[in-house]
Amino acid sequence: MSTGQTHPKPVHQHMRRNPPIAGEAEAIARAQAGDPRSFEMLYSLHKRRVYSLCLRMLGNVAEAEDLTQEAFLQLYRKIGTFRGDSAFSTWLHRLSVNVVLMHLRKKGLPQVSLEETLEPSQDDGPRKDIGARDLTLSGSIDRVTLERAVENLPPGYRLVFILHDVEGYEHNEIADMLACSIGNSKSQLHKARMKLRELLRTGERKESAV
Amino acid sequence: MMEKHANLQNGKTMTCAEFQDKLPELFESGNDLSGEKHLQTCETCAALVRDLEYIAQQAKLLLPLHDPSPAVWENIQSAIQHDGNEPGSKTNDTPIK
Repeated sequence: MSTGQTHPKPVHQHMRRNPPIAGEAEAIARAQAGDPRSFEMLYSLHKRRVYSLCLRMLGNVAEAEDLTQEAFLQLYRKIGTFRGDSAFSTWLHRLSVNVVLMHLRKKGLPQVSLEETLEPSQDDGPRKDIGARDLTLSGSIDRVTLERAVENLPPGYRLVFILHDVEGYEHNEIADMLACSIGNSKSQLHKARMKLRELLRTGERKESAV
Repeated sequence: MMEKHANLQNGKTMTCAEFQDKLPELFESGNDLSGEKHLQTCETCAALVRDLEYIAQQAKLLLPLHDPSPAVWENIQSAIQHDGNEPGSKTNDTPIK
């Protein structure tokens, strides 16, 4: 479809959200050398993002805090292995994603096997339940409604949606984090948005029926 | 149910199914989808694209969340002191890629 022309940036392509952080590189080097204050600084810089990921994936404050703690303890133990091949935030996020997935698997929840949830499925493809014309979204979805819908996504879809659409990671970074192909990440994101649409439309229908 | 809508694109008939198969790549291309011929004649797919773009746009509302409670850092500090090591000193852990 490419015409070789440049187009205005469409709304679905958002700005990258993990730009370099001032002082981070120095803090990493000092933490690797054993400086506890620098490790504390890294915690301050990244705690919100790691906690947000944990909370969205777990939906429970206590569990999210436990996993945030576990992720940073792993960071403390492994920071010496960070070589700067990727952005530190991406590296830390990959570590955090692994902590979350391990936890979900331990809980034995269905649909949390990454291999399974990231495997494209014909049964859950985009043609399912496209819907009638009068069932499109009203254009007034608020944050709370969207949060609730995201909570109801299957974990595999939720993870890719959060990493890409909420946190702004690129598909190549997500594929690296989740050990899947870039195509698989794209496919999962599309399915996640489709499922969200279905969930949001269902919510709107219920509201209008009251 | 799938709308049995078809139109001509590049001299070929494009069905909704074919268009929707292309959608993930079309979104990722970064191009403006409003120029897609199929969308100009298919309201169902046009509504779908509008909704998916809207969802991606609204996802930005979900940042940022709250900080963890101060107890998390206190627990981390406590565990570190219990370990008695400096950051990165446990090199026998599996490295992160």
